[in-house]
Amino acid sequence: MAQKYVIIGGSAGSFQVVTQILSALPANYDLPIFLCLHRLKHIRTGFIEALSIKSMLPIVEPDDKEHIRSGTIYLAPANYHMYIELGNTIALSTEPSINHSRPSIDLSFISASYSYKEKLIGIILSGANKDGAQGLKAVKESGGIAVVQSPDECQVKTMTMAAIKATQVDHILNTQQIIDFLKKLN
Amino acid sequence: MQVEKDDILRIIDTIKKASSYDFTDYSEKSFARRIEKILIDTKLDIEGLIKQLKSSKEFLEHIVKEITVNTTELFRDPKMWHTIKYRILPRFQEQDTINIWHAGCSTGQEVYSMSILLNEMNMLDKCNIFASDLNLDALEIAKRGEYKYRFNVEYIDNFNKVIRQNPYNFEEVIDIPFTKYFDIDLTKDLLKAKPILKQKPIYRKQDLVREDNVFYTKFDIIFCRNVLIYFNYDLQNRIFENFHKNLFNKGTLILGIHESMLGPVSSKYIKKGMYYLKK
Ligand SMILES: C[S@@+](CC[C@H](N)C(=O)[O-])C[C@H]1O[C@@H](n2cnc3c(N)ncnc32)[C@H](O)[C@@H]1O
Repeated sequence: MAQKYVIIGGSAGSFQVVTQILSALPANYDLPIFLCLHRLKHIRTGFIEALSIKSMLPIVEPDDKEHIRSGTIYLAPANYHMYIELGNTIALSTEPSINHSRPSIDLSFISASYSYKEKLIGIILSGANKDGAQGLKAVKESGGIAVVQSPDECQVKTMTMAAIKATQVDHILNTQQIIDFLKKLN
Repeated sequence: MQVEKDDILRIIDTIKKASSYDFTDYSEKSFARRIEKILIDTKLDIEGLIKQLKSSKEFLEHIVKEITVNTTELFRDPKMWHTIKYRILPRFQEQDTINIWHAGCSTGQEVYSMSILLNEMNMLDKCNIFASDLNLDALEIAKRGEYKYRFNVEYIDNFNKVIRQNPYNFEEVIDIPFTKYFDIDLTKDLLKAKPILKQKPIYRKQDLVREDNVFYTKFDIIFCRNVLIYFNYDLQNRIFENFHKNLFNKGTLILGIHESMLGPVSSKYIKKGMYYLKK
């Protein structure tokens, strides 16, 4: 199993960034990547297809209790919270929205940081609310690496600013730098 | 707040000794998250919670309701409803009666969704509809069939997707308004199910953990969506065995779109894309 894990949270303005990142990663990229992205209510479907076109890696919307594999990208399904649990499994839940969000980036990040501790890299991208700030803080407090997309580059900077305010982040990077950083981890 | 595993076990044990509820085989993490939320809402600590659970039956019933996750919506996951409409129900068109069970129906939206679909396919009359849940408050809401309007506008979006559009033929638009089935009361901010949807369903309290079947009949279709995600593998397997026993031959089992049958029991079913058939 991979030594490190990546979790990415994003909201408004993050779709392009995620697509760029995924399309830049090589087919032999080994780290599992968890994507927790807010979607507009009316585009609940078609999302994974749009992401898959650009990516050489398999992207799945996992089922509850699905086992986590290397080299796979896990997209939180619309309308479910996605937890990353001990024993390398995913758990889904339909608990109510948190900060108007389901999936909640905070919940995914907090569960992953509990399971993976210093093996986790958390990345917060563009977004129009404050979801993810508490999650990134948890990543940092568990010994993981906290990364934020450079607010100057973000289409909407609320989410990255909130994350930077909530915790002492390790890196503030633009999209290309995030890609280089992720490639080096492989 | 992080609740320790020991505390969780003590709470489960307390509830088990004081009542018929047994949460032993609930998924540990999600149970812990519910307890964390309850501690925040009640402003109690673990000791306080356990003490109250022991001393008040009423409090215990309340906490059990709080442990269950009741979120649901009308036509949740339209893709699944398209499958029901175009793949599952046509197989039953010739049959004289159809027995349907919604296990874990929560506040009833799933039951109303199915009734609407059945009515549109002229099949409602020959159906016997049964619905059960652990949470009596949820069942009361289900029977009433009234939902907040303002927070549930996606009900209408979902309805339009499932009832008015044909994913296999984009040019077909079926002109059936939402108001055929629900009255919209703007002053009270309510969506109210029309009587035609309320005649069939029979609601009963049932605990899937210890009661196999409270309706004393077998079923053609069992719905159990987004209920088993809160259970562990062992309990899931037991429930799948129970459903198997209570389905007619070739009966259909419908799970949530992100649930799958793992473990030995899966050999007793045939997986058909988004649903399962009893072998
Ligand atoms: C998230 S809701 C699912 C509602 C609906 N089926 C849907 O998918 O939209 C889960 C329901 O399972 C019920 N439940 C939990 N444990 C149960 C048990 N042991 N027996 C019966 N129902 C249970 C809860 O009360 C809750 O209403």
